[in-house]
Amino acid sequence: MVRPLQLLIYFLLFLLLSGCYRTRSSKGGGDLSRLMENRLVNPADVELPAGYKAEVVATGLTFPTDVAFDAQGQVYAIEAGYSYGEEFLEPKLLRIGPDGSKTTIATGAINGPWTGINFHDNAFYVAEGGQKEGGKILKITSDGTITTLLQNLPTFGDHHTNSPAIGPDGNLYFSTGTATNSGVVGPDNYDMGWLKRKPDFHDIPCQDITLTGQNFTSKAAETGEVKTTGPYLPYGTPATAQQVIQGALPCSGAVFRVSLEGSNLELVAWGLRNPYGLTFAPDGQLYVTENGYDDRGSRPVWGTGDYLWRIQTGQWYGWPDFAGGLAFNGDRFKVPGETAPQPLLASHPATPPRPVASLGVHSSSNGLDFSTAAAFGHVGEAFIAQFGDMAPNVGKVLAPVGFKVVRVNVENGAVTDFAKNKGKEHAPASALATGGLERPVAVKFSPDGTALYIVDFGIMQNTGDKTIPLKGTGVIWKITRTAL
Amino acid sequence: MIKYLLYSSIVLLLIACGTAKRGEPAYAPLATTEPAVVQGKVVFDTFCHKCHPGGEAGLGPAINNKPLPGFLIRFQVRNGLGVMPAFSDKTISDSDLDVLVAYLKTLRKAKEDKPAQAP
Repeated sequence: MVRPLQLLIYFLLFLLLSGCYRTRSSKGGGDLSRLMENRLVNPADVELPAGYKAEVVATGLTFPTDVAFDAQGQVYAIEAGYSYGEEFLEPKLLRIGPDGSKTTIATGAINGPWTGINFHDNAFYVAEGGQKEGGKILKITSDGTITTLLQNLPTFGDHHTNSPAIGPDGNLYFSTGTATNSGVVGPDNYDMGWLKRKPDFHDIPCQDITLTGQNFTSKAAETGEVKTTGPYLPYGTPATAQQVIQGALPCSGAVFRVSLEGSNLELVAWGLRNPYGLTFAPDGQLYVTENGYDDRGSRPVWGTGDYLWRIQTGQWYGWPDFAGGLAFNGDRFKVPGETAPQPLLASHPATPPRPVASLGVHSSSNGLDFSTAAAFGHVGEAFIAQFGDMAPNVGKVLAPVGFKVVRVNVENGAVTDFAKNKGKEHAPASALATGGLERPVAVKFSPDGTALYIVDFGIMQNTGDKTIPLKGTGVIWKITRTAL
Repeated sequence: MIKYLLYSSIVLLLIACGTAKRGEPAYAPLATTEPAVVQGKVVFDTFCHKCHPGGEAGLGPAINNKPLPGFLIRFQVRNGLGVMPAFSDKTISDSDLDVLVAYLKTLRKAKEDKPAQAP
């Protein structure tokens, strides 16, 4: 029997412990990361389930984003050549020696970031982000020759051309992220850097859409002039009710396939904000990770997770009017203290499905791969690298989100942590002053499936008005099972 | 009255000091023999995980280290609190809420040392 006084104390505790969100400051991993030129690296600081061990494969990488294995199982890595924070470098394909040595195989143009690589039939296929010249799909042979298979992809903006994956049909699948957070160009894109370079760039729908006519006002960063901007339009261009925006291919926020020669571009799916990781499950089904909305810009959206999707050909997945299959209506996804985002489209191309799994808000759930070997365990589960929040730039969080590797049961959506840092609190290693994981951006199993490689981008700090990535702090980790 | 205040102070102190980490990889895997707990994890991961990843803090506060009784968990889920939205019985059915509470109570206790070797 609960007594009245006990009940009262429970309620007071309940209210106290729930806290007041609005009065609390952001304490995300982006806020807490420390800029350590000499990053500590110590596998003993990585917490793993019983029976697994971590090793260091390579250190000192600058913005690594993916690994690949050639026919002999030799490890290769790519360095992106671009990072948020407007850090432009030459992207590189590196061969990683058994001793962690790095040999440059190919050097790309300053048009990064290189976001993903796959090896197939004696060649590497790379997705080039396209910050300067637009996105590209590249083929690189073992002598370092780079051939452009596809170019002029519309990814000059917030998100890039991502993740080449070879499908069971022999085609190359890749994705394009959206130009903006939620469809409207604004000062946040100026802060990102690209609006200065591409003042007319905006999102492109994959088929004709009709707008509700919502407009958004903001002050231009350089002049202070008030600009009125509609969705899918250049900054400062207003929309009208029932205005039709012509669809085009290639478009924003979509998954495509092309032949391995770069011909016959086809749309696979669209309405995805930033479909970062693409991988085929052992049964041939395509899965995609999507980075969800941020609390930033002219149309901020609050409380939407990142998602794992099972991709159906021809499907629209809801961006910019749904998150995780839920429509923007009423107060849903309202930033505390502000007005809720309302639909931009007068009618929707389809009702989006529900995701396979919902992942942490701002976790930046990126590269993924499926376990296929009993020797490693968790066969059939998807392992996902979570880069971690970029708070406060993407919105406020009460604690670091991401900065780890999770596994997902794709049958029921259950999410379980697999690799994260030791310690009382969860955080990137630099915040904990330990030698563990910083920002896992990709995971890939070795060809025999017995080792999981984690690509750790390195240290990145977010200060609200700036993003500061630290060169030379990237690490490649390897996880194996020590006992069966 | 003094006894309750003392209890409350102790509870608050424990909360302030206690880690919210539970289950894998820091501890032994969550016991999954009870169907309600298994189903509860699916409900949690569908509706709660994104703001409270694994029950730890994220967009919202940690819930693994809060000693809330079941009836208050139900109240908060149904009514929301602060910026947390309410979940009606159309979104989370009564039976799903039952297994969610069972899961959260089990998760809270999932601090057994993990075995040295793989299970």
